[in-house]
This record gives sequence, structure tokens and C-alpha cells, in this order.
Amino acid sequence: MSHDNTHDHGCQCEKESLFLPRQAKILHTSKPTESEKHFTLQMSDGQPFVFEPGQILEVGVMGYGEIPIGIASSPTRQGTFDIVVRTVGRVSTAINGKDVGDTLTVRGPLGHGFPVDQLRGKDVLVVAGGIGLCPTRSLIQYIMDTREDFGRFVLFYGARDPLQLLFTEDRVHWRASKVVEYHETVDRADVHWTGNVGVIPTLFHKVHISPETRVVICGPPVMFRYVIAELDALGISRENIYVDLERRMKCGVGKCGHCQINDKYVCIDGPVFTYAEIESLEEAI
Amino acid sequence: MGKPKLAFFDFTGCEGCQIEFTNLGEEAILALLEHVDIVEFREAMTETTTERIDIALVEGSFTREKDRERLQSIRKRSRIVIAYGACACTGGINALRNHQDDYHECVYGADARMPHLQSGPALPISAAIKVDYYAHGCPASKDELVRILSALLHNDTPLIPSYPVCVECKRNETVCRFDEGDYCMGMVARAGCGAPCPALGIPCEACRGFVDEPNLRSLETVLMERAGFSQERAIGKSRMFTANLRS
Amino acid sequence: MTDRYITEEAFGPFVNAMIASTRVIGPVAKRSTFAYEQLESESDLRLDFDVTVLPPKKVFFPPAQQLVRFDGDTVEGCIEPVDTVLLGVHFYDVKGIDMTDFLFRANYADYNYLAQREATTIVASNIQAISPRAFWDSVGIEVQPKGHDAFLTKIDGGYLLETKTAKGDALITLGDFREATAGEVQAAREVNAAVMGRCPERLAYSTDAVATRVRESFGEEEMWDELAERCFSCGSCNTVCPTCYCFDVSDSWNLDQKSGVRTRYWDACLTREFAAVTGAGGSKENFREHHSSRFRHRFMRKTTYLNEKLGGPACVGCGRCSRACTADIADPVRVITTIMERTS
Repeated sequence: MSHDNTHDHGCQCEKESLFLPRQAKILHTSKPTESEKHFTLQMSDGQPFVFEPGQILEVGVMGYGEIPIGIASSPTRQGTFDIVVRTVGRVSTAINGKDVGDTLTVRGPLGHGFPVDQLRGKDVLVVAGGIGLCPTRSLIQYIMDTREDFGRFVLFYGARDPLQLLFTEDRVHWRASKVVEYHETVDRADVHWTGNVGVIPTLFHKVHISPETRVVICGPPVMFRYVIAELDALGISRENIYVDLERRMKCGVGKCGHCQINDKYVCIDGPVFTYAEIESLEEAI
Repeated sequence: MGKPKLAFFDFTGCEGCQIEFTNLGEEAILALLEHVDIVEFREAMTETTTERIDIALVEGSFTREKDRERLQSIRKRSRIVIAYGACACTGGINALRNHQDDYHECVYGADARMPHLQSGPALPISAAIKVDYYAHGCPASKDELVRILSALLHNDTPLIPSYPVCVECKRNETVCRFDEGDYCMGMVARAGCGAPCPALGIPCEACRGFVDEPNLRSLETVLMERAGFSQERAIGKSRMFTANLRS
Repeated sequence: MTDRYITEEAFGPFVNAMIASTRVIGPVAKRSTFAYEQLESESDLRLDFDVTVLPPKKVFFPPAQQLVRFDGDTVEGCIEPVDTVLLGVHFYDVKGIDMTDFLFRANYADYNYLAQREATTIVASNIQAISPRAFWDSVGIEVQPKGHDAFLTKIDGGYLLETKTAKGDALITLGDFREATAGEVQAAREVNAAVMGRCPERLAYSTDAVATRVRESFGEEEMWDELAERCFSCGSCNTVCPTCYCFDVSDSWNLDQKSGVRTRYWDACLTREFAAVTGAGGSKENFREHHSSRFRHRFMRKTTYLNEKLGGPACVGCGRCSRACTADIADPVRVITTIMERTS
């Protein structure tokens, strides 16, 4: 058994608890949908907060608990960071009960985010389904802020219905933008909807994607399978497909075991994996 | 806004759950009274109320049609209804009668036909009214009730374990009843009590009901193979607190 | 780092001297079996134990451990190690502790575990009685026990104490030890060698052969369904395992409803909701929904997933899971043998 790959602090140095959270002040909130709340946060201790696109945070309220949330803004937007929380359980309800002036606890950043270095200089396609747009927004902003470093940039976004679409301001901007080819679709239209109708894979029939493209996918488990089938048909290598996975997590530091997929821990080995890494892992998708 | 109003109500049961609450002791109860007002509590005070209530703790099973009205009235004036204790949650031990027909004569002899002894099947109160939360157990755990009330005071949903009693026995390092030649039902029983019975050498009777998806076939096999039960006893034993949960 | 000898008569006073100077935890009788408990006196100590209900990992990773206390917006960590001697650890549990040491140190060092680990002196002891479900002499035999500070072996008339670290050496001053003779060292070696090969259960396959075959059996659903048919999803095989370290975290309020504590509790991947997440509209997605997939996950973890990291299987052959399983389906020897004998 080797202990070499660890930071051996020895007994003398400060024994900091992995579980002691920092406080983040809520600077701004909005309610993009019925069940989601968008927070803009700043660390209360004034210390810088350094992270990579796609990394996660354990966000919480003392007395209620913590949940893993992907950071929804790019590190290029300095000073503050964003998260979007969907009200689904106890902890997310407690978080979404907080407002401007309150604080949330955060631990992180945790895990491995999007491999920005592998994407640089390449054509990039981001496929986001539903709330999967939140963690990918960190990469979308990053690419748009350092646009000349990347090749062609295509973004597919789908939601169940028009009321579930997130980031209205961003989408208005993306639609008009010349630096991103933005395509959106909804599974079910309403009377006001004039855009694409159909699940995300249908967008592949409308837009040409070259086989050399690097692809980033985040969305509900069912979406992965269909999108990957489309990418296979395009001849895109599974090494060039990056998937952002979601699992139950308690600790976020590779200990508690809840997010295990075979021998991988989503919280520290991921949440972003190449599809090649996980396709042979049963239980991954 | 004042403190939330809390009331205890009793139906068919022994009121042991109310007594168990008083076992919290003076210090804990006084601390709790900083945060709630108890407005009705038959085992501990004479006052009653017809006012609106924030949290109703309803004890006992629903066994007579005429109780339906009282349950509905409690529901109507309560913001939150908690089924308090095994009888209210599942019908409890009272529900054993639902699978038998000779108990009247056996228990009451010559008085068996007296009108005040007539009652229907013992049902959980959820058979009559909507229940928001369940405080399981016989008696309902006083510590768990404090956890439930604390969660409600913070607008949180109380966390009721879905894992079985075995998890708590192991955390306590309790010697397994089967290792002592005894039987136990902790493998299918909902935890949350802290597993005090096996720690004292008493088998778990699943007074908190079953976990979701209990492996009842395996329970019968284990009771027969490891505890030497007959099949009839294996089936009957697992009904003690869970008669309404079995087919 | 020496070999010392102490007579049987002087051993009790040595244990009492340790108890007088620090917290000493060792095996004691508990009903029909044994458990690690804090010793009040040397007479509590039962070095003739076969196996304890829970492994000694509970000293560093207690079943419930406070992580963070809070009061309003104030939060503080609670790493509060207590100097401890852990006395009487069989070699298989030494291996288990070495694995949890590695796992809690890897990537992010978890001082809620490591601080107590570093404050503890581990005195291993020879196996005087063998539990009916043990198979520690035929599983992961390529993995050597290490990480203990001293090793105590009962030999004729007394004990040999082989110290391995400065922490182990420090104990010598508390007892009437003398330098051991070559004969006594040899006698201890023979005592420890003599128990090997005497386990009632035996795994007849190499670590690598098991790892390969079990990994390859992942998709054999029918077999896993059969193996797990009687499973209660109670998690007892996990909670008694020396190498299991999963936990759940939950918050609780104090009576003042203002302060409270965040605690981690032993969790078990066999329990139904272990891998369940709440989705939109309160819907549940359970990544291991069936009890057979959870049962399979445990065997994958014990026989293959962690082998590269740990240098061997995440099983030390203590047999606790076999005993703790009321349905008696958790025994690694039986399950692995079934898988090995069935060709894919």
C-alpha cells in the first residue's frame, strides 16, 4: 500500500477539518423558474475564491445540511460566483429560503471540472439538458470570455417546456451573439413558443458538427444515452466526449462513498469524465 | 407571531406515548416550552382547546366510525398533523384483532356483547384523515419527537430513517439476538428508535413498522431456520405490530 | 524497536500502569462475544478473544462523530483527539486499520479520522482463539500487516513485546520488561506461525484470480439475483467490516433551536437509499435500486475495485460479515467460491 500520492502533512501541521465550511454572502438572487433560484455569492472572509469551470461546491445551511452544486459562473468573472439551486429536497428548500443579505455555507471548490486545456484551440459543442445548463454555464462563460482561444463554439440547450428554460438574459445574448452558435429546443411547446420542438438529439439533424469537435454533455441520465448515439453516428471519438455526472454526495472529498461508480468517486475523480473513461463502468450512465 | 401551539389527542391506545413524552424530564420540556405552547395534553394538564392548532400529535388507532368526526375536526383546525406512536401510524398492536375473530369471548367472557365493547378493525389514523408526518414506535421515541419538532420549528421536513434497526444495533455494537439463540425482526424494522430493545437483550418486534421494501420471505425463512420457529409462528410473529402491513 | 519479555505476573501491573497514564482500549467480554471497550482494570482485558463485534476502526472513526458545531452563524470544527493505547489488535484488524488509514489520508486528508489515529498507540496481539467464520489465513495473504506500534505475543510463562516505533518503545517504561532471549523471540514466531492454516474457512483462489473473475461476473444478473435473494438490505455486512468507511452526514438542533451539530454516522451501501438522489418534483433516482445490485457492489468493492489502491483486496478475512448476516448470505468465502466455480 502506498501513501506516496498524498500530501503528507505529518502530525505537526495544522489539522484543518475537511468539513468546516466557509460562509458566502448572498449578493443577488433571481427566480428563473418556479422551482429554481439563482444566487450570486461572495466569500464573506474576503479571501479569493479560485476555481475551474465545472467544479462543484458543497452548499448548505447549518442545521439543514449540504448538497453538491456545480458552480454556474466562470472564474473569468472575478469577485463573485453563481449557483442555481432547484428546490427538490430538504436542503435545497432551506437554501432557496435564503435571500440577499443572508449567508450560505460553502465547501470547495471540489473535484475535476471541464478540461479547458484539452478544449483550447478546438471546436467545442456543449450539450445541456434542463438544469444541466447551470454547471456548463461556467464553461460557456469561460469560452465566451476567452473566445479567441477556441475554435467554433456551438451550444445546444433543451428543456422540458418553455417555462423551464433558465438564464433568460444569457439566452437573449447568446441568440444575438456572433461568437456562439446557439440552438435551443423544448420537448413540449406552449402557445407562445415559436422555436424548435423536440428532444435535444433532434438538434443534431439541423446543425453540422465535425468529427473533430470536443463535446461536453450535462443533463438528465436519459439524455446522455441518446446524445451519445448521435455523437457516435458523427464519428466523434469517445475520448473527446466529456460528461458531467450527478450523484448523491455527502462529503465531496472522496470519503463518504455515496457517489461511487465502481472504483470512481464522482466528487474527486469527476464530476467531469471523458466518456471513454466511464463507458465500461456499469452504473455510470 | 407567537409560539406554535401544540396539542396531544388520544384515540384507541394506552396513552403511553404521552407518558413517554413526559419522560423527557423537566429541563428538556421547559426548554421546549420556550419554543412551543402546549394547549392540550390529557396526561399532563386539564385544559383543552377548540382553537386552531399548529401541530397536532394524534395518538391511538382509528377503531370506531364515530371517531372519524373527531379526527376530521382535529385535522380541520390543525396546520400539521403527526401520527404519534405505533397505533396511530399503522394501527399498532391493536390491529392484531383484524386477523382474529374469537377474541371478544376470550377477553371479555360474558360481557363480550356489551355495546361499549363494539368496535371495528383497528386502522391507522391515515384511514380517516391526511397525515403529514409519522412519529413511529411503541412508545413513540421521545428523542425522535424532539427532532421532529425541531425540524418543524425550522420549517424543515423531519428526517425519518428508512434503514432497518440492524444499522443502529451495529452502531451501538449490540450483540445480535440471533447470536444469543434468540429471534429478532430488526432486519425489516424501521430504525430511528436507537435500537434500545436488542441492547437490553429483547428482540425487536418492529414497533416502528417495516422499512420500505422489507424482505418478508427472507424474514420468515430466517425466523424458522435460525430461531427455530414454526411457519405459523414465523408469520404470526411478524404481525405483532405490523398486522396492517401484512397481507 | 526492540524485543522485550514480561512475565505473566508482571503483565497485569503493566496494563494497569498504562490505564493509569492514558486511555486504554482493548477487547473485553460482551455477552456471548467480545467488544473493544475502554479498560477499567487489567482484569477486563480478554486477549483470548476470537473476534469482536465491531472492528477497532471505531476508535478513529466512531459510529457517530461530530464534525462541526454551530451556533447561529458561528461554526467550529471539532477535532478532539484523546491519547489512547489500543491494546490487543489481531493482525487482520491491523491490516484493516492500515487500509482505512490510507483511505482517509488519500487525496484530501481527513483529520477527523487522522488526528485520533495519530494520538493512538496500537499494540497488536497474537491470535489465541479463532472465530468460527474466520479466513484471515487465506485472503490477501500478500498484504503484510503494518502500521502498528508494537506486537504482543503470549508465550510460555509470559509475553514477548516486539516494538516497532518510538510510540511502542515508550510503553516499555510502564512495565517490568527485560531484553528477550533469542529463544523467546523464536517461541513467539512459532506461536504466530502456528495459527496460520487453522481457520475454519478457506478461500482457495488468489487475489488476482478472484479480482478478475468477480469483475467479469458483473453482468451475470441471474447469479447476483440468486446470491442476494435473501438479502434484507440491512447493511450489517458493511457496518461490521474493518475496511468499510462510508458515512452519512446529518445536522441536528439543540433544544435552544439556535445551536446544533453536524454529525457523521456509519452508513452502508447495502441499504436501499444509499445511492438515491431526489430529482425534480421529489422524484427519486436510485443508482443501485435493486438489492442484488447493492449486494454486487459490496463484493466488487471488497474483491476488485480498490485492489490497485490498497495493494490487495479490501477484505482481511475476519469473518464478521459472515456472522453478522442474519440471512447468512454475506460470507465472502461462500460467495466468492460460488462465483469462481460458475464459469462465465
